[in-house]
Amino acid sequence: MSVQLAPSANRAIPRTTPLAAPPTAGTSTSVTSPARRRVSAGSLVLWTLLGLLIIAPVGCFLILAVSPRVFQQGPEWFTLRYVREAFSGSTLTGIVNSLWVSTAVALIATVLATTIAWLVQRTNVYGRRTWTVLTWLLLLVPTWTMTLGWTDLLQPFGVASVLGVNTGWLYGEFFGPTGIVVVLSTAALPFAFFIVSAGLRLLGPELEDAARVHGAGRWVTLRTVLPVIAPALLGAFTISFAETMSDFGVAFTLGYHSHFPLATFTLFSAISNFPANFSVAAVIAVVLILSTIPPIMLQSRVMRRRSFAVVSGRTRAVRRREFSPLARVGVTLALAMVYLVALGVPILGAGIGSIVQNLGVYSSGAVHFTTAYYQQILHPAIVGQGLGAPLMLSNQIGLIVATLTGVVALVLARRLVNTAGGWSQRVTDVFLMGSVAVPGVVLGVGYIFLYDQPFITGHLVNLYKTLPLLMIAMVASSLPGQTRFMAGPVSQLQPSLSEAARVHGAGRLRAWRTTNLPLVSRVLVWGWLLTFTKVIAELAVAQILYPPSQEPVSVTIQSYLANNLLGDGTAMTVVTLAEMFGVIGLALLIYRLVAPRGWRRVGVSELGS
Amino acid sequence: MRGGAAASVALRDVRKEFAGKVAIAGLTLDVAPGTFLVLLGPSGSGKTTLLRCVAGIERPTSGEIDIAGRTVVSVTTMVPPEQRNVAMVFQDYALWPHLSVRRNVGFSLARSGDTKEAQRRKVDDLLERVGIEALAERFPNELSGGEQQRVALARALAAEAGLILFDEPLSNLDADRREQLRVEIATLTRESGSTVIYITHDQSEAFALADRVGVLNRGELIQCATPEEIYRRPASPFVAKFTGVAGELAVQVRAEHEGVYEVVLAHGEARSFRAVAPQRGLRGAARVLVRAAGVRLVPVENEEGLAGVVVDVAFTGRGYEHVVKLGEDHMLRKVFASSRFDRDRAVRVVFEPATTLLFAEERGK
Repeated sequence: MSVQLAPSANRAIPRTTPLAAPPTAGTSTSVTSPARRRVSAGSLVLWTLLGLLIIAPVGCFLILAVSPRVFQQGPEWFTLRYVREAFSGSTLTGIVNSLWVSTAVALIATVLATTIAWLVQRTNVYGRRTWTVLTWLLLLVPTWTMTLGWTDLLQPFGVASVLGVNTGWLYGEFFGPTGIVVVLSTAALPFAFFIVSAGLRLLGPELEDAARVHGAGRWVTLRTVLPVIAPALLGAFTISFAETMSDFGVAFTLGYHSHFPLATFTLFSAISNFPANFSVAAVIAVVLILSTIPPIMLQSRVMRRRSFAVVSGRTRAVRRREFSPLARVGVTLALAMVYLVALGVPILGAGIGSIVQNLGVYSSGAVHFTTAYYQQILHPAIVGQGLGAPLMLSNQIGLIVATLTGVVALVLARRLVNTAGGWSQRVTDVFLMGSVAVPGVVLGVGYIFLYDQPFITGHLVNLYKTLPLLMIAMVASSLPGQTRFMAGPVSQLQPSLSEAARVHGAGRLRAWRTTNLPLVSRVLVWGWLLTFTKVIAELAVAQILYPPSQEPVSVTIQSYLANNLLGDGTAMTVVTLAEMFGVIGLALLIYRLVAPRGWRRVGVSELGS
Repeated sequence: MRGGAAASVALRDVRKEFAGKVAIAGLTLDVAPGTFLVLLGPSGSGKTTLLRCVAGIERPTSGEIDIAGRTVVSVTTMVPPEQRNVAMVFQDYALWPHLSVRRNVGFSLARSGDTKEAQRRKVDDLLERVGIEALAERFPNELSGGEQQRVALARALAAEAGLILFDEPLSNLDADRREQLRVEIATLTRESGSTVIYITHDQSEAFALADRVGVLNRGELIQCATPEEIYRRPASPFVAKFTGVAGELAVQVRAEHEGVYEVVLAHGEARSFRAVAPQRGLRGAARVLVRAAGVRLVPVENEEGLAGVVVDVAFTGRGYEHVVKLGEDHMLRKVFASSRFDRDRAVRVVFEPATTLLFAEERGK
């Protein structure tokens, strides 16, 4: 056996190409150019897609804030008249309300979520897995459902009254800022919880140990260690703030009925009133989007100034704080109370409300329970169009949108975490972060604007007020959040796993299918379910873009409630929620039965088990 | 199509840049079939990049690569990894966490055309050879580092590839396991008959495994030869230092007799000693690199050798390693002696001419 050296054995080999010299023209050009072209083509496809889905619709709408003539909404090419108009009267009230409510909600949600995450991850509190599962459920329940449940419970002659509990004193509080902050805080809790949980999971016990060893008590230790997860805390605050600012479900229901305007509702009013004022709506939209910049900048600033790298190969498993038996029961009960208020009360309120006859109507006699509402909504001839067709339609929309979003989000997530992506990757990252803050109502109005333009309807494609447009808008609405949801697990895929498959004989597709897909399969399933349920319950885009006579179920329920068919609307909500949770259960069961054992072994940690 | 005889490998002027930064600077190398070639170099020398180019994971910026006489990389060609008939052991093992040990090892057999039973027998045989037959149904996260490494080795052997690539496979293991697995890699890969390209930054690992050693620095192949030649006749001070020296001495050349030079310390004792050089005609200022094995300590009463003082001494089990100060500014490390010379004791240091390597002084130094 021998190695033949070129040009001859055992001699120092001269460098054939100088370090600083460019490679020979023929070889370098032909080898590197195709790669560069691929990158450019990928970026082009990506940005065309994002342009059509998000940038163009939102941009078309936002420009009306100062230039209504661009889309024939006024005589001026440039004016600040609508800015002044938006910052006066009820729209100003809506903006101010949204800002302080969102700040309060973000603070409450962050503190609450940090406490719960610490209890679940770092203590021996009972039912740790249960609290995580309940938080997932909380994430899936739309905010307008929570509002409905609370309304059924607390209204005069409502469920609480039927059950003999006097809640009159609470009614006034609930239908006002307090109720709005409570409902929105419970809605923001899951986002904050999962972000803080991820931060806590990465924080090994060494820092706590070091503080304790050097004489710090429990409180000082907590104060020392908590700032280490400052990025997670700020992330929790930011996402809670952005979610609350962009929420439409509570603004459309509780905010409206409480005469407590929020910005998303005043925006909706501006375009749904006659005559519509799109320019004022655009100014409100700009404020909604800009309002998320300060917390994002604060987070970036903190991240830039200090290093928060706490993950190392030497990080040991966490040691849980052992509560005394009495304290353990007490803390568990306190947690149960939180979830009872956040999830149990609205669901119970809606559940019972759907079977009480004449809910909300004075009755001197005994309480009558009935299944009449369920019969009515399942037999459309009795009242309105019923539940069947809208629910079926929403399921079809959910199926298509969740699948499309899943595929595109996975591609985007891979691009986002691809370190070779360069400027395109960074811009995509910033853009997606910003897009999370675009409220659905802004996106919906943007779609109306863009896709109703004569140059599109007349010469390209007429999608205005069609189901495809509604579904595209929902994909656009779901895409930023879904991409960021997948980016974490996708970034954990070691490139060497697929490289090993390629080297050992697998083609590109087989390598991805056999090595990467199993590792992200659980995340894909959860991401799909998350989008599916969110789409079914989505109200803002649906309310603005649904085609005539093709109402999604969320719109149908709201029209029942608006027509004082409270029992029917509540029953519809219960059936819709039950169906959503049924789909989740079925999907997870199928995954459990069909997915190979190895697939189920990985990826659990990302989902906060 | 996988399997087959040991493959030859030829690299012609292979160059790789990342965003303008040169990782491999026009490297040319031929590896004969069945050779165990170890590429040795410090971090950033381009050895992993080179291996990944051979595997097909990275595409060279320019140059050509042939495997088994077939061009896999050229101006117009880029054969994907799965069509190169290679196998690879990754630094992080790259075991698929969702697959059992059996399925990890049998991955490349899935498309071999063998029956399921034949594949199973082959996997069982490999697991037995690497000593993990009892772990076949476990998943990677249920294995220790050494066991994971064995799975990675079995997976590479299962492919029956003409060329097996090793990317610093022992770097994550403790000393005992490293030694044990080194022997297993040497034995099993030679049994397979495949050509091997193995990269490491550990000189002792390289010398223990290799038929040939290629020393890389800053993307260049500085020298490629047998371990003995590398050790005895390093092509440059870098190669000498990277393959282990006790110290470096600034000297003045006094005379030359057929490749053996007579030198004196530039700053210190005027007593001369002998050194060898790969080049002829050295004059004036030069430097000497001394292999640890070629240095002896003798009591100060002896007449031979240079005067020095023991700065430190460490017991190594089979003897003692000393740090010795020569003159004002020279230090020799890892100087072995079977008996102990205490700290601060005056000694004399004797150099074996064959392992006392003389090089011209580098410009600017």
